[in-house]
Amino acid sequence: MNRLGALALLVVGAALGVAAYRAQINALSSPHAVAQVAIGWAYLLAGLVAWARRPANRMGPLLVLTGLALLARQLRYSDDPFLFTMFFILGDIGYALVALSALAYPFGRVTDRAERVLVVAGVTTVLLIPSSIAFFYGGTASLSGFGRLSRDSLINVSANPRLVELLQKSEIVLFFGVLATVFVVLIGRRFWRATPRMRRILAPLVLAAVAFGLRAIFECVFTFVDRPFAADYVFWWQFVALFALPLALVGGLLRAHWVRAGVGDLVLELEHARPHELRDALARSLGDPTLELAFWLPERGTYADSAGRKVELPENGARAVTYLDHDGEPLAAIVHDPSLLEEPKFVRAAGAAARLALENAQLQAEMRAQLAQVKESRVRIVAAADEERKRIERDLHDGAQQRLAALALQLRAAQRRMDAHEAEADPAVEALLEATVAELQAANEELRELVRGVYPAVLTEEGLATALESLVLRNPFPVDLDVLDGRLPARLEATAYFVTCEALANVMKHARASKASVCISRHNGILTVEIEDDGVGGARPLENSGLSGLFDRVEALGGQFRVDSPAGEGTRILAEIPCES
Amino acid sequence: MRVVVAEDSTLFREGLVRVLAEAGVDVVGEARNAHELRTVVERERPDVAIVDVRMPPTQTDEGTRTAKELKAQQPELAVLVLSQVVETKHALDLLSGWPEGFGYLLKDRVLAVDDFLDALRRVAAGGTAIDPEVIGQLMGRRRERDPLEELSPREREVLGLMAEGLSNRGICDRLFLSSKTVETHINSIFTKLRLAPAPDEHRRVLAVLAFLHS
Repeated sequence: MNRLGALALLVVGAALGVAAYRAQINALSSPHAVAQVAIGWAYLLAGLVAWARRPANRMGPLLVLTGLALLARQLRYSDDPFLFTMFFILGDIGYALVALSALAYPFGRVTDRAERVLVVAGVTTVLLIPSSIAFFYGGTASLSGFGRLSRDSLINVSANPRLVELLQKSEIVLFFGVLATVFVVLIGRRFWRATPRMRRILAPLVLAAVAFGLRAIFECVFTFVDRPFAADYVFWWQFVALFALPLALVGGLLRAHWVRAGVGDLVLELEHARPHELRDALARSLGDPTLELAFWLPERGTYADSAGRKVELPENGARAVTYLDHDGEPLAAIVHDPSLLEEPKFVRAAGAAARLALENAQLQAEMRAQLAQVKESRVRIVAAADEERKRIERDLHDGAQQRLAALALQLRAAQRRMDAHEAEADPAVEALLEATVAELQAANEELRELVRGVYPAVLTEEGLATALESLVLRNPFPVDLDVLDGRLPARLEATAYFVTCEALANVMKHARASKASVCISRHNGILTVEIEDDGVGGARPLENSGLSGLFDRVEALGGQFRVDSPAGEGTRILAEIPCES
Repeated sequence: MRVVVAEDSTLFREGLVRVLAEAGVDVVGEARNAHELRTVVERERPDVAIVDVRMPPTQTDEGTRTAKELKAQQPELAVLVLSQVVETKHALDLLSGWPEGFGYLLKDRVLAVDDFLDALRRVAAGGTAIDPEVIGQLMGRRRERDPLEELSPREREVLGLMAEGLSNRGICDRLFLSSKTVETHINSIFTKLRLAPAPDEHRRVLAVLAFLHS
C-alpha cells in the first residue's frame, strides 16, 4: 500500500468518524458517541500501521476494514431513512469483523475448521436477523439500543412491533450469548493447544476474549432485566477491552519484527559466543526457548548434539525442523517450535548468520562423537581382554592342567601296580617313572602359577575380597587389607584386583618395603583403590610397563590413576573409578 | 572304607579309582557331575566323598556347594575336596563351616599316594586334612611381632603338620620321631604361642588354624 492510499483511508476514516459522531449524538450520550468513534479509529489506525509494517500479512487490511465497518455502523443512528435502513442491516458486520480479526491473528488467516464455522455463523446472524427486522419495522415502536428515537425502515412491509422485539432479542442471544461464548471457548482452546512460544504471541487474544465476554454479559443480562447501576461499568470495561484489542494485536505483530531485528544482534553476539553458547544465542534471537541444535556428522551419517551424542530428529508435527547446509553438504538442523515455520526465511537467516559458529560447533560435535566412540571402544577392549583371560583360564584349567594331573596320576598308578605285582621290578624303569611323575608335577605347578596370573578363578567365584585375601596370603611381607564387602561389576573387580596385584608385585620388586596396606572402598559412586608402602619410593609410572598398563586400564573405565612416589617416602598408588551403585 | 569319587575328568577319575582300589579302598560309586554325585551319595551312603571343586554344569564351585548340601543331609559323611588351585581363604571358609571330617587338598597331592591315603583315612575318621600349601601360606605370613619366630625349626615343622590335621601318631611317622618327643614339641609350641590345650585333635586343628590366620 502506498502513502497515498494510506492517506486516502485516513481521510475516509476521519470523515466517517465525524459523520458517525453527528449521527449518534441524537440517540446516545456524548461520551458513548465519542467512545464508539474512538474504537473505530483505533482499528483503522492499528490496521494502517500493520499494513505498512507487515505488508504480506492480511491482518493490516482486515483491521482497516473492521475499523471502517465499526464507524459506518454508527450511521444507523442517522435521521436519514436510507442510512438508517442500510446500516441497521449491515452495521453489525463490524462486530463480526472484530471477532474475525482476533481469530485471524497472527497470520491473517483463519485455518481452524471450528473457527471458520464460527465466523460464517456470526456473519450470517448479523446479516439475516437485522434484515428480517427491517421488513417488519414501521418506525413507530421503539428499537432496543435506540433510546426513544424512532426511524423509518425503507423496506417495511408489515409493521409488527412484537415480532421486531422477538427478533432483536434473538439476535442478542444468538450473537452475544451463544456465538460470543463459543468464541471465548475457541480462544481458550487455542491457548491450550499452543506451544509456549506461540502462547506468548497469542497473548493479545486474552483482550478479545475479555471484550466479548463482557459484551456478552452486558447485552444478555441488561437486555432482559432492568439496567442496574453496574451496567455502565460493564459497558466501559468492555469498551476499554475492545479499544485496546487492535493495539495489542498490532503490537503482537510488530513484536515479530523485533524478533527479526534480533538476527542482527545474533551476528554481533556470535562473534564472542563459544560453540556451547550457540544454541542459547539462537534460541534468544528466534524467541524460542525450546530450540535445539543438531549437527550433521558426515562420518557417521547421523545428527548429534553438541556433546556428540546421536540425536533422532523429530518427524511428527509437535516439533519442526529446519535443515541448514553449506555448499550442498548438510551442516546442522534447528529443531524448533512449529510456529516459527510461518517465518521460514527468518529461521534460515538466523542459521546463515550463525553458519561460521555452526561449522565450528559441528567440528567440535564430530570430535566429541569420535572421542565418545574411542572411550566406548576402550571399555569394550578392557572387557574383551578380561573375557579372553577368563576363557584362557577356563581352557587351561579344564584342559592342559587336568590332563597333566591325570597323566601323572596314571603313571603313578602304573608304578604302584608294578611294585605290587612284579616281584622283580626293573629299578631303571622305576626311577624313570618317578622322575616323569615329578616332572609332570613341576609342569603343573608352573602352569598353575601362570593361570593364577591370567585370571584367578576365585575372583569370578568368590569376589574381590576373597581373591585379594588369597593374594595377600601368598605375599611375603605383611599387608593390611581393608576391602569393601559385596560384589561389584566384573570389570571393576578385575581392575581393582589387577591394580592391587601389580602394585604389590612392584612393592616386592623395587620398594624394599617392610609392609604395605591396601584399601578398597566406595563412596558417592566412586570406587577407590589405594595401595601404600613404606619403601624407598621413587617409582616412575611411565617407565614401568606394569604401572602404565594399569593407567590405561583405569582410564578406559573413565577413572583416574595416580602414583605418588617421592624418593625415600614410600609409594602411594591411587585409582579412582566411577561405579554406579 | 567306602568311598565315592566325583570328578569330571575321566582320565583323572580312573587313575584315582585305580590307585584307591590298589590300596584296598572300596570305591562304591563314581560321579561326573554334581547331579550324579548327589544321586550316588544318597544311594550308597559312603563314608567319604572325594569331590572336585569345579564340576559341570557351571564349572565354578559346583563340587563344594553340592558337598555342603550333602553334609547337611548326612552329618556322618566326610568330604575330601580336591582342587586344581589352592585358595587359602576359600579353604578356611569351608573348614570353619564344617563340623568334622573335612579335607581340602591340591589335586597333585594324590601323587604322593601314601600321604594321600593317610589324609583320606583321617578325614574318614572325622579328622581334618588341610593342604600343606595352605599351611605354608599361613605360616609364611610375616607379622609385625611374629610369635612364630620364637619356635625352633623342628617346632615349626610340627606346628605345620598339626595344622594340616595330622595326629600325634601321624606326625611321629612323618618326622621319624618318638611319640614322647612329639608330645614335648607340642607342649612347647602351645606354651610359646599361649594357646589353651585342645580337648581333641579336630579342635586342635581349628585352634592352630585360627591362630595362624589371625
